[in-house]
Amino acid sequence: MTGAFKFIVWLSVAIAGAGALGAIAMHRGEPLNATWFVVAAVCCYLVAYRLYSAFIAARLLALDDTRATPAEVHDDGRDFVPTNKWVLFGHHFAAIAGPGPLVGPTLAAQFGYLPGTLWLIAGAALAGCVQDFIILFCSIRRDGKTLGQMAREEVSARGGFIAQIAVLAIMVILLAVVALVVVNALKSSPWGTFTLAMTIPIALLLGVYLRFIRPGRVLEASLFGVALVLFAVVAGQWVADSPSWARAFTFGGVSLAFLIIAYGFAAAVLPVWLLLAPRDYLSAFIKTGAIFSLAAGILFVRPHILMPPLTKFIDGSGPVFAGKIFPFCFITIACGAVSGFHSLISSGTTPKMILRESHARVIGYGAMLLESFVGVMAMIAACAMPPGVYFAINSPASIVGGTPEAAATTISSWGYRLDAQTMTQLAHSVGEQTLLNRAGGAPSLAVGMAQIFSNTIGGERLLSIWYHFAIMFEALFILTVLDAGTRVGRFMVQELGGRVWKPFARTGWMPGILLSSAIIVGMWGYFLYQGVVDPLGGINSLWPLFGIANQLLAAVALVVATTILLKMKRLRWIWVTLVPMAWLVAVTMTASYQKIFDANPNLGFLSKANSLTAAIGSGQIAVAKIAETHRLIFNQRLDAAVTGVLALMILVLLVEALAQWYAIFSGHKEPVLHEANYVATKWAEGFTGSAHGDD
Amino acid sequence: MRMQRVAKLAKRSLRRFWRGLREWCGDAAYERYLHAKGRQSAEQHALSAEEFYVEQINRRYSRPNRCC
Repeated sequence: MTGAFKFIVWLSVAIAGAGALGAIAMHRGEPLNATWFVVAAVCCYLVAYRLYSAFIAARLLALDDTRATPAEVHDDGRDFVPTNKWVLFGHHFAAIAGPGPLVGPTLAAQFGYLPGTLWLIAGAALAGCVQDFIILFCSIRRDGKTLGQMAREEVSARGGFIAQIAVLAIMVILLAVVALVVVNALKSSPWGTFTLAMTIPIALLLGVYLRFIRPGRVLEASLFGVALVLFAVVAGQWVADSPSWARAFTFGGVSLAFLIIAYGFAAAVLPVWLLLAPRDYLSAFIKTGAIFSLAAGILFVRPHILMPPLTKFIDGSGPVFAGKIFPFCFITIACGAVSGFHSLISSGTTPKMILRESHARVIGYGAMLLESFVGVMAMIAACAMPPGVYFAINSPASIVGGTPEAAATTISSWGYRLDAQTMTQLAHSVGEQTLLNRAGGAPSLAVGMAQIFSNTIGGERLLSIWYHFAIMFEALFILTVLDAGTRVGRFMVQELGGRVWKPFARTGWMPGILLSSAIIVGMWGYFLYQGVVDPLGGINSLWPLFGIANQLLAAVALVVATTILLKMKRLRWIWVTLVPMAWLVAVTMTASYQKIFDANPNLGFLSKANSLTAAIGSGQIAVAKIAETHRLIFNQRLDAAVTGVLALMILVLLVEALAQWYAIFSGHKEPVLHEANYVATKWAEGFTGSAHGDD
Repeated sequence: MRMQRVAKLAKRSLRRFWRGLREWCGDAAYERYLHAKGRQSAEQHALSAEEFYVEQINRRYSRPNRCC
């Protein structure tokens, strides 16, 4: 291709992207087609990848393919495994793609489709991808060190400790909130509960097969397992149709919460090969398949977007969660645009498998673009349903009422037309008793996905199967995050506990394993229980808390990245990480402040606690409910304290980093980079890293 | 002639896809381990397929490997 031709092609892509974005932003009147969203997102991603990531790779990082990567230097076939670029892209994407980009945009749709969509695209291109890419690069240059180790070496010892605590805190809140999403999706749903419960014996069967019968034959075992899981989705309908079986699999929120807590503990304590690993294999296959099917379904059906660009809830009075667009749209979207958690995958795991430094561009920057696209698809699925239905599914009973009639009256009074019959009919069509008050994003996403899938294959007749397929897909990989996270959390607790009492850190010591598992499960289990009994549905307080923790971790990663770039004397281009870092600090500090101190009891934890205390004092609370209300007051104060501690940690890290930057600028301190020594690569150009040699 | 070329190309692409899939899902991990240069110089006896499988997943699930 000649230069002029290339230029024309890229100019066309840029114009198409700008045109589609303009259409999304300016369109009023008739419902907009979802194709505009796909065109806008894909063109913006292509331009961002072609220009911005190339600029970062060449100017800021100066990626060097003559330098041997940790995978080449250490190549031990265990952690350090030279891996083909596209295979590693798949690995990395499967690791970073979790429930966040599906749930976050679905919740943020309460502001309308516009703010969330714009942030998903812009946030990913300018912040999320940048973070993933640069942290991956920094870790490659340091033999695959983790974010915590890099923070300790490059910022300060205290910085490393803060990063470690921040990771544990985010883990606890993350696990609680994703468990709550599952509880809200499965309560009073025998079909969904049966399907998910069946994944446990299926995983056990796979575990035994992979351990004793055909060790390590993951592909054949997983395909067999996926077939069984799909059968379980169909069999769920028979269970739901049988009164006695349906009763056995119908649980309320609290019972489900305790079942999930027991499952999390078992998964952390049992051998990995028995339950955790085979479930993860199942989840990876189903997750990848469902995401690509959703993309194909959206392109095939091209649904109309029924949600308005902006809703009245931009004023902060939203029923799904309280708070204005700034900062809560950004906090809620979280992983779809920027995710601090990705920095844990970009450091530690992926850098030990990368073949060439230049591959970091497509793996670090490119995989995050794909994750952002998953977020855009979730936004499309949520906004393609009538807004009245969206609010009925996602709003708590204490706001819209617990019956279809009450919900229809309340939601219609907001200006989003809804009749009770629609909700009853929809619940019946998807094989559920009710879809009301299922805050958490999973059911509304499942309804959106089911409508897209059933318009592609099967029509109305298969709507219930598709709905439960979507619920199973979300719940399955949420539980995978839950069990893998609980196990990792257990190791973190053991490591931290080992600083106080050494034997506690021994990973093979059974009392230590049981105690540390109980501590981590107890921590997230407490927040989960608190969310389940919360009259506002729990998601209202827990999701923003999770968003704040996640974005704070991203700020930690960008502080580390900025410090390293300063030490590398890249002052001229430092805005690449400094601007997103400053933005994240501003967003998280504002959100933390509002969540703790805002005078509106629906938003501020402390004012909610005070209003409940006042209600007890004035006799508005029935005597039977006083103990429960005291518990709610304690929980609100606990949430305020957790938010405060998270905010304080990032402030301390920021002060540490600023002191470090000042010392570098003022010449008081010679900047010391802790990079591994340069080793020239021995691999020929064109080596692809195939396990079977090159072909 | 052209058909033959297309068939050859398709066969090669399918083979690459199959190998990529095996590597992505972990099927090829043991072969990787056996051929790893660093391991060959450091260890005298390689682990069996079963030992390697258990050791590998124990390591993998001891650090953050699934995101939100």
